[in-house]
Amino acid sequence: MSRSNSPLEDGVEENAPPSLESEIQEERIAARRLRIAARVQARKREIIFFQRLNKLQSDGTELVTNIQVAVDARESQRRTEEAEAKRQRTEKLENEAKTSLEKFEDIRKKWASAKAKEIPQDLRDALNMQQRHCAQLIEEKSKIINELQQELKVQDDKYVKDLKRQAEDVDLMIERMEEQIKNLMKCYREELTQIEKAFELERRELLHSNYKKWEQTMQHRREKEMEYLTMRMKQVEDQAQQLQQLRVQDAEEYNMIKIKLETDVQILEQQLQHMKATFQLNQEKLEYNFQVLKKRDEENTITKSQQKRRITRLQDVLNNLRIKLKKQEKQFKEESHTLSEDCKRIMKQYQDMQKKMMYFASIDAKRFHEMWIMNEEEIKGLVKKALDANLIIHEQQLGMTYVRPNLPFMKSTGPIIPQHTKKKLTEVLAKQFLTAGQKITGDEEGVEESVSAGAQGESHQSKEQGQLEASYPENPDNLLPQISPKTMKKLLEIMCDECDFLVESKLLKLFSTLEKHEQSLMKLDSIFMALGVENEADVYKLADFLIKYSEQQIAENKKEDEEDGQIDEGKSQSYVSISSVEAAEGSSSMIERSTTTDLIHPNDVLKALKVYTEHYCKPREKHPLPSFINYEERDDSEDAAFWEAMANVIPESTQRVWSALETELEKY
Amino acid sequence: MAEFGDSVLEDLSASDQHTSFSMSRATADADKRKMRRIIAEDPDWSLAIVPYLRIICLQHIIDNFEKNPILDELPPADKVKVLEKLSTKLPISVTANLISDEGYWRRCSVERWGRRDVSYYGNSWRRMFLECHLESAIELFIPNTTDPNVILDKVPFYKNYVKKISVSQLLPPVKSSENRQKEDTLLAVGDGASEELSVSHFDFGMLLDKMTELEELHLVYGVRGCRMNFEWSLFEFTEQDCQSLAKALKSCKHLKVFRLHQSKVNDENVQTLCSSFLEHPSLRELDFSHNIIGERGARAIGKLLNSSKLEVLSLYDNKIKGHGAQAIAYALSRNENLTTLNLRLNRIGDEGGQCVANALLKNSTLINLHLGSNELTEPTANFLSRVLMQNKTLKSINLSCNRLGLDGGKQLQEGMAHNSSLVEFDLRLTEVGQESEYFISQILQRNKETAHRTPL
Repeated sequence: MSRSNSPLEDGVEENAPPSLESEIQEERIAARRLRIAARVQARKREIIFFQRLNKLQSDGTELVTNIQVAVDARESQRRTEEAEAKRQRTEKLENEAKTSLEKFEDIRKKWASAKAKEIPQDLRDALNMQQRHCAQLIEEKSKIINELQQELKVQDDKYVKDLKRQAEDVDLMIERMEEQIKNLMKCYREELTQIEKAFELERRELLHSNYKKWEQTMQHRREKEMEYLTMRMKQVEDQAQQLQQLRVQDAEEYNMIKIKLETDVQILEQQLQHMKATFQLNQEKLEYNFQVLKKRDEENTITKSQQKRRITRLQDVLNNLRIKLKKQEKQFKEESHTLSEDCKRIMKQYQDMQKKMMYFASIDAKRFHEMWIMNEEEIKGLVKKALDANLIIHEQQLGMTYVRPNLPFMKSTGPIIPQHTKKKLTEVLAKQFLTAGQKITGDEEGVEESVSAGAQGESHQSKEQGQLEASYPENPDNLLPQISPKTMKKLLEIMCDECDFLVESKLLKLFSTLEKHEQSLMKLDSIFMALGVENEADVYKLADFLIKYSEQQIAENKKEDEEDGQIDEGKSQSYVSISSVEAAEGSSSMIERSTTTDLIHPNDVLKALKVYTEHYCKPREKHPLPSFINYEERDDSEDAAFWEAMANVIPESTQRVWSALETELEKY
Repeated sequence: MAEFGDSVLEDLSASDQHTSFSMSRATADADKRKMRRIIAEDPDWSLAIVPYLRIICLQHIIDNFEKNPILDELPPADKVKVLEKLSTKLPISVTANLISDEGYWRRCSVERWGRRDVSYYGNSWRRMFLECHLESAIELFIPNTTDPNVILDKVPFYKNYVKKISVSQLLPPVKSSENRQKEDTLLAVGDGASEELSVSHFDFGMLLDKMTELEELHLVYGVRGCRMNFEWSLFEFTEQDCQSLAKALKSCKHLKVFRLHQSKVNDENVQTLCSSFLEHPSLRELDFSHNIIGERGARAIGKLLNSSKLEVLSLYDNKIKGHGAQAIAYALSRNENLTTLNLRLNRIGDEGGQCVANALLKNSTLINLHLGSNELTEPTANFLSRVLMQNKTLKSINLSCNRLGLDGGKQLQEGMAHNSSLVEFDLRLTEVGQESEYFISQILQRNKETAHRTPL
């Protein structure tokens, strides 16, 4: 209701109510105030209405319940009255019962006295009396019964009256109820009509305002439409003018362009003519060229056929030559086969010879040894004799104390063995390895040691070598400091890698099972053997040479490149067997070139070695087959001294003593 | 026309198709005129008169609804039509569960029971119809003659919808004329009690345990409109009735409201009924108005008060005196559920009134109290004035038709001066004097306004 009322009040107070949506703040505030006021008023009216309604209701219920209350009151009163009446009745009845009982007792007693009477008259009197008494009693009882019946009747009447009254009450109640309902209905209807009125009013107001708004907006729209229309008209005119202008302009432009294009067409036609003429000319030229080319083509076909023929001929020749080549190859193969067979046979013979030689050499050596011992014993006997003689002479003849000269050779037996055996080459190498290994890695130490141990196992092999090479400088230490062990090791490794070919293939196979260091050690040993490097000094020499060579190489880098080809060719002639291997290895080592140290290029190693052999290998030629003469070769330089020492056991002074003594004795 | 018929017929079940066909043929044979499309000689004839086959089919469905109820399968528009025309005489066994349309049930109810206020029945016409149906069946049930299956057979249809049974009469078993004569003679002698004890009414035990939705039960063991056939035996609530009713009530766990009016319920009966209500899970309202309950019955009710969740207790128009009121007041002083107590038209007297007033000093749940017509006098008013000062929950007190007198009125006026919660105070016919009455009404008005304002 509050909502419905608010616009109504707004409308009553002002023709144009301030709206909440208006832009002026005050107006909005005013609108809110109005709304609040309207709400408050509506609430008041509502409360008043409810109060009125409540009052009506409570009044009505009071009116209705009044009857109920009245009936209740009457009922309760009736009950109290009834209770009272009942109490009185019961009292009365009890009293009556008591008195009647007494009377009855009286009568009964009198019966006894009546029985005692014997006179009939008395008896009759007594009986009459009894009868009278009984009648009296009965009368009293019937009186009471009558009374009670009367009371019952009264009660019945009362009941009927009550019923009537209640019916009246009910009627009244219904009447009042109806009245109340009517009142309430009236009230509600009034309220309803009021609400309806308010609603109607509000609706009308709303309709009115909406209609106004509608009108306003319609007006607005109409104006706007007119405005748009005029604007549109104006625009149309403007645009028509513009169109006209544009049309004129376009026509002019069109004419201009047309003229221009026509001239252009003329020029182009001229050009076309020109082009046509040139075209003609070119066509003729081309035709001529075509003729020439045709001729040439013909010539070419002729020459082509000729060439073909020649090719077939040459093919025949080639075939013939191939057949010939095959034949030749076969022939050579057979030849080489036979030759290899021969070679094998000779090799076998040679080996047999060697075996024989070794056998004889050993026998000779034995014989020599025996001979030696025999002679020695003989000589020793002689010497002893001489010495004994000398002793006798000295002690007996001269009476001098004789001191036996110290004769060390007397104790020894067998052929003399030179005191200085050279330090073994491999041992040196091992040592170098060891020292280098200690510096570089601790891990390799054990391995190196084992290598050195293994190397010592081979000592017997090179022992004899050392014996033969006594002439070489014994102490290589003077060369050592020049080259550090590290570089040495690297050099040796490079050599080991590069000069596999110098090692016999069988050995290589055997080495493959060994450990790496051992393997390289063995390899080096055999390589050095092949190169003729026999002692430490030689090794250092070689190393030194290699380093120097590499330095030279670096210096002559450019020149060498040019000379390489020639040198290689030269090499291939001298080292037929090597060159193939080198070529094979060259390619593989090419890759390594950049990675290896600058000490010496792996590729240069071979060249350097070659030069080295040229320079230093001459002395080796003295012992072309060092291994084979092991047994025969002995150092006999000391032999003479030995024997001489034997011979000179008696010094010259004693001899002179002896001769003087002899002469004296003879004199004697 | 035939084609259209075929297309419609496809929608219907085979049996219907068959019957409708034969029906249409039969009618066609009967009147050849109906076969023609145009009847030139008849100026009033028009094609529109001929009903559509669809409508004929629907009519057929309506006619045979009892044997073959088709409703949910129909399209909504047809369903509405069928419901509009469906007969209201259809048996409940067909319609109760099938039809949920309120329009149909409204038609049924109005046709059968006249206009009644549907709001008493939860605004459900179906519930109203079914409840009225069941009530009338119970009211017209005559023990030993009517077959109980008449009611029991329909229980499955009542079960889901009936929430309230309000019975205004229960017929006693009919005595044969021989019996009647005998009884007449016996009555004349004034010794019919032995015969009456065997008389029993409708046994609710067989009905109530099946009505799982039942919430309210109003009973009157008596005969309505007996007129000149009046006999005391017609208004007898026998021991047997009481036993069977108590048993039935125990099984009815959803019962919320139980009313037993004008049935001569005495103390023993109340004791039996109350023992059946002990620990009842849902009972809220108990009404034993217009009976003859005395002291012992009141004691039983007092015991019940604190062992159930009773909220409304009405003992209007009984014979409760001081001791009974004492028992009820004792229960009231410890109760936390009861909101309404009606002891109107009893005889509790000042003794009982004082007890009730003392109990109210401790109680804080009771809202309505009716002590009208109870022979209360000034001492009770004295106690009540103290209650008015202390109690804050009581909203309505009715003390009408008690002779409180001028002094009592003054005391009540004093008490009212300190009260702000009471809204209704009925002091009509209490002889308290106009001055007090006016003063009290002023305070009531004030309290009413504050009470009206606070919820807003």
